[in-house]
Amino acid sequence: MSAKARAAAPATRTGNPIRDSALGLVPETVAEIVALNGAVWQKSLVSPTLLEMIRLRNARTVNCVYCKAVRYEVARADGLTEARAAMIDAGYEESALSAREKLAIALADAYLGFPAGVTADLAARLAREFSAEQIASLFVALMTFNFTSRTAVSIGGMPADPLPVMLVPAASTMD
Amino acid sequence: MDAPTFPTSLNIDRSLALAGAPAASFARLWQSLWVQPYVTAALLELCRLTLARLHQDDLELAASNPHVEPGALPRERRDPVLAGAADKSPAFTASEKAVLLFAECYGLDPQSIPDPVADEVRACLGEAGLVFLIEALGCIDGRIRTARCLRDLARFAPAGEDAHVG
Repeated sequence: MSAKARAAAPATRTGNPIRDSALGLVPETVAEIVALNGAVWQKSLVSPTLLEMIRLRNARTVNCVYCKAVRYEVARADGLTEARAAMIDAGYEESALSAREKLAIALADAYLGFPAGVTADLAARLAREFSAEQIASLFVALMTFNFTSRTAVSIGGMPADPLPVMLVPAASTMD
Repeated sequence: MDAPTFPTSLNIDRSLALAGAPAASFARLWQSLWVQPYVTAALLELCRLTLARLHQDDLELAASNPHVEPGALPRERRDPVLAGAADKSPAFTASEKAVLLFAECYGLDPQSIPDPVADEVRACLGEAGLVFLIEALGCIDGRIRTARCLRDLARFAPAGEDAHVG
């Protein structure tokens, strides 16, 4: 990963971490990215815990140091303790996470894999556990988390070592 | 009977609309990628084809992009990209080659994009253009991944039932 930041954050600070990042340099997209992040956290059709689990699974796979350190308060309030967040790792299948949570992580892995794809077994299990609307919601959240973390990695300038856990109010990333 | 329409990065919004407001927002972001001042729609389409090639996704490669004017991508510009040989083609400017090389590196591994490759794009497009390109590649890649998953979910849907999504 490049240690050099390839783009600087805007000089003007707004207090919104998305607008104050390099994404703020692109006025044609930043407003919708802020709106998208807000919509995912406020209007998704699955619980904040499930959203945070697939976000952290994505962060781990993409190796976004910032994304791995962030914890959304709304998920913490929903019951995702740090001990449970630590289970979203290798061997999660054998952890104390619920079957529904493990399925969401399996879907994230299917999306993140190469080639991306869902097996017949996973498709059948997803169909038993989630509604069509919830599966669509999980995909929109996955795309959102994945493209933003890949953006952070591609822009570069991340620390090499892990950062301490940072609690983030979802409202701070919205307008 | 109409031919079946398979999900691709270009048409998944109708499947994802079940998700409501977040899906509508993602669809608006997608639309905005094709009308901005940094990268032409035709060049962004070549980036999409680059990622589709890396995903080895024939349906994605065959899909027609409604955001690109008919005739905007003649074969002499499309074929080298499909063959992974844009860097050797006289059909592209140095700036276009820089963007396509960046897309190739991004598709292989965003963590491993060489600094000189990123520097070249920034020199051509500016800092905002580089950030835009990175965002756009992420959206395209994510939509290709989702489309592939939606196809599988439709393929494996229990007989006699509608696929959940796709």
